[in-house]
Amino acid sequence: MLPVVLCLITFLTQTRWRFVFTGMGWRWLVGEVDAPRPRQNGLLEQGLHILAPPGWAVVASEAERVDGAQPTGQENRAQSCLRRIVALTGATQKGNRYVLDVGKTEFSVRNGYVGRLRDVTDPKCKYEQTCFYSAYKGMPKAQQIATVLLQLTNNPALFDKWAAQSGAYKADGQAFTCAQ
Amino acid sequence: MTAKILTFSSHGDTTLLEYDPATADMEEVNRVIAEYEAKTGAQPFDMATGERIEKITNEEREVLMVHPIAGG
Repeated sequence: MLPVVLCLITFLTQTRWRFVFTGMGWRWLVGEVDAPRPRQNGLLEQGLHILAPPGWAVVASEAERVDGAQPTGQENRAQSCLRRIVALTGATQKGNRYVLDVGKTEFSVRNGYVGRLRDVTDPKCKYEQTCFYSAYKGMPKAQQIATVLLQLTNNPALFDKWAAQSGAYKADGQAFTCAQ
Repeated sequence: MTAKILTFSSHGDTTLLEYDPATADMEEVNRVIAEYEAKTGAQPFDMATGERIEKITNEEREVLMVHPIAGG
């Protein structure tokens, strides 16, 4: 009889504590649901709400809005810069490329690529091509093209340095190694 | 009349320096430019002629700092 009573007491005790803990858990859950939260629109913002305090999320939200609003303006400014450099260097636009004549040499610059005909008067002259990118990360493509047009106008030999793929070069042809 | 030192950046063309060429200390302007070049590799071009310039004088009204390009 005694073991049965002991088992019954143990069972009742466990059952009672389970209800208590379950009730607390429910209250905690209700508390989380009821806590006021700012509206989350983007995935980035939602992620930041999980990882960072609310103040950070507000900043991220503004950054996201700025990033979402600016590309058109940035593209316009970059295109405007490119048009100005094209006029300044005497280059001509042909489709998606910009043709630049420096003496007898003709360069053809497009997004990430530059081609060269060393001597346009020589029918046997081979067309050479190489890739390029700006050492300044994040520069719009239009401005990279503008940079290449300006540099080739002043220093056509830069093409050979770029073709050698041996790093970045300043406009005067000196190698540049980022010190940072 | 003001003169500007500009550069291309991810935010468009950014003004690095603006000064009055009539009264500005051009040595100081060139010192700032030299520091910028040492840090970024960018070199000055006169936006009136499209030519690279060794030293900025009070004649230039708009100077563009042109960043290095790499072949890849």
